[in-house]
Amino acid sequence: MTEILCYNGLRKSVHGRLLLDIDALEIHERSCLALSGRNGAGKSTLLRIIAGLEKPDSATVSFEGQVLSWRRACKKMHAQVIYLHQNPYLFDRSVADNIAYGLRCRGLSLREISSKVSEALDWAGIGHLQLRNAHDLSGGERQRVAFARARILCPRILLLDEPTTNMDSESRGQAYRMIKRLKDDGVSIIIATHEFHTIAHLCDDHLSLESGVLKPQPVELESGERKIIPYG
Amino acid sequence: MDSLSAATAESFRLLFSGDVALWVIIFTSFSVSLKAILVAAPFAFVVAFLMAHLRYPGRRAMIAGFSALQSIPAVVVGLTVYLVFSRSGPLGDLKLLFTHTSMVIGQILLSFPLLVALSHAAFQAADRRVWETSVTLGATPSRAFMTLVHEVRFGLTTALIAGFGRIIAEVGCSMMVGGNILGYTRNIPTAIALETTKGEFAQAIALGMVLLTLALILNGMLAFFQGRGVMKS
Repeated sequence: MTEILCYNGLRKSVHGRLLLDIDALEIHERSCLALSGRNGAGKSTLLRIIAGLEKPDSATVSFEGQVLSWRRACKKMHAQVIYLHQNPYLFDRSVADNIAYGLRCRGLSLREISSKVSEALDWAGIGHLQLRNAHDLSGGERQRVAFARARILCPRILLLDEPTTNMDSESRGQAYRMIKRLKDDGVSIIIATHEFHTIAHLCDDHLSLESGVLKPQPVELESGERKIIPYG
Repeated sequence: MDSLSAATAESFRLLFSGDVALWVIIFTSFSVSLKAILVAAPFAFVVAFLMAHLRYPGRRAMIAGFSALQSIPAVVVGLTVYLVFSRSGPLGDLKLLFTHTSMVIGQILLSFPLLVALSHAAFQAADRRVWETSVTLGATPSRAFMTLVHEVRFGLTTALIAGFGRIIAEVGCSMMVGGNILGYTRNIPTAIALETTKGEFAQAIALGMVLLTLALILNGMLAFFQGRGVMKS
């Protein structure tokens, strides 16, 4: 698989404590990587660094094999990497406007935006919600809007921070199906979780973050079934 | 009591008969204060946003400074602007004293700390995810800022209305730098002060009613723009 993004020598301290000390992290095309670890292990910080939302203390970043300065890497990441918070933030406007936001940022014409938004609403099965204010939606509905808002921008990499926390089983199922469809569309996905067994069926690789260091973990059984690895 | 009733009746006549002198005063007040708030607000919002968004040395001192300056007396601002624009002052050559421009400048200085302090409170209370979500969806910093402004619009509107309320009713600064010139720099508060000292209560009451109505409207707008008045679910 082709490598999209690579971090070498990534260090990040928070309040004087070394939170991340990662020698190498590679993100490949069309891969789905699980990132597990206890609460406070630094999973969210790592995802935010990958998304270009937080600056590491030191790191060498290469995008498609080309080493970039942090500023240039951020530009690339903001255009091609999307980070979804644990509870995705939806703007105080209609669902359709939320989904169209990124397209407006990219300067698409109104006609293009309208047709892409319709398609994204259908994709997420939320056409009936398009005129509702996003703040009036349930947790599961918000998550679907956030997935549609990300998918419409065709990102290379999607970073999901504990995407199914506090969800009921039906909403979880819907979220897993959407993640699977995004993966099938060719999006590389990193999912931060402290319950790897719940997403094992989606993932190709599994890394756990322990004391700031990334450690490879097995994903599959010899039989080919997904191994359930309760963390901790 | 009779004289008060007569003055009140006369004030209504002045208001509703379209008395030119009275309406020029009202127009001057609104024109000067609206210009001041329109110039001050965008800068104040940017400063407030930077104070809430960035970490830099002296940030807390800056916040405390703007907070303290909210209560600066209007007459002190008036005195400062007067000294700067008076003939022997550093900007005396501009000949701006006793003009609308100097009144606008005085009111900008008066409203700026209040606008910064109140809008900083709004930005500070905003969810950090607004900025991060905008950026991760590809917004430029200016677009992300405008998105944030939209998300905290109720708080910013409150700041705007409070700032406008502060300057439309101030007398000290306008009196000193405007000079209370009839038909030119005389505004509602300076006219009320002058007419009262002259014993001409009709015009003072008419202008007082305008200010009172404005205060009620502004407070009504404040309540309206503060949203539904319930906690977010």
